[in-house]
Amino acid sequence: MISCKNVAKLLMSDQLETQTTWKRMEVRLHLAMCRLCSRLARQIEQLRSGARESRIHSEPDPELEERLIRRLSGR
Amino acid sequence: MTPTSPPSIGFLERLRRREPEALAEAVRDHARPLHRAARGLGFEEHEAEDLVQDVFVTFLERLDQFEGRSQLRTWLFGILHRKTLERRRAAAVDDRMDPIDEVFEARFDGNGKWTRPPADLERLLLSKEIGDVIRGCMGGLPVHQREAFVLREVEGLATDEICKILSISVTNFGVLIHRARARLRECLESKGWERP
Repeated sequence: MISCKNVAKLLMSDQLETQTTWKRMEVRLHLAMCRLCSRLARQIEQLRSGARESRIHSEPDPELEERLIRRLSGR
Repeated sequence: MTPTSPPSIGFLERLRRREPEALAEAVRDHARPLHRAARGLGFEEHEAEDLVQDVFVTFLERLDQFEGRSQLRTWLFGILHRKTLERRRAAAVDDRMDPIDEVFEARFDGNGKWTRPPADLERLLLSKEIGDVIRGCMGGLPVHQREAFVLREVEGLATDEICKILSISVTNFGVLIHRARARLRECLESKGWERP
């Protein structure tokens, strides 16, 4: 039976998809039974959504492209 | 041309001839995600714009070396990566040892069972402020980990493309994204937003 530590490592390092079908099934089964590892898996997803949310605040102003085009055209 | 497909030979020829419309098309397709990534990497608004301009200038100077086999986006993000390292003077950073690995290991016993389980961050992660909190925590990530996290989680790029941009193996990428997430989780837990 795969350990919580190994499941956590695979989830955190995005390496699940590179594993064998058997290993992936083992991880899914573990997640179905382990409340703490499934919490970790859920948090990785939520961290992703939160990070995408953060990009709203990083959007440049609408004139960015036109300014760059003007400057680069002069080169 | 779409940002995610290799550019056509005709489009590359037009770029090499410095046709204004071709240059404008490349800028309109790619400037915004590059700028967003630069901001995600911690550059201020004006620094990010300057950096993106620098990326396009280098791109135009080295256009003859671009064979068009990869996506234009991959090439441009690769230039952004090298410019980031130059500006952060981080090229010599040694990523082999990182104390966050010990922090992660300390969460488990010898049998691989949780001894310090992941705190319940549901309330924080679903809050309206989560974007700001994560941005704040991202400030504590070393530059390579921050790049891996921004390209994967903010820009949503696939592992293969990120590995090409950062010139790293899939295994190295796994180490970087693991450490980035571990560090962000520790930071979020330290904020004390756990459910009472």
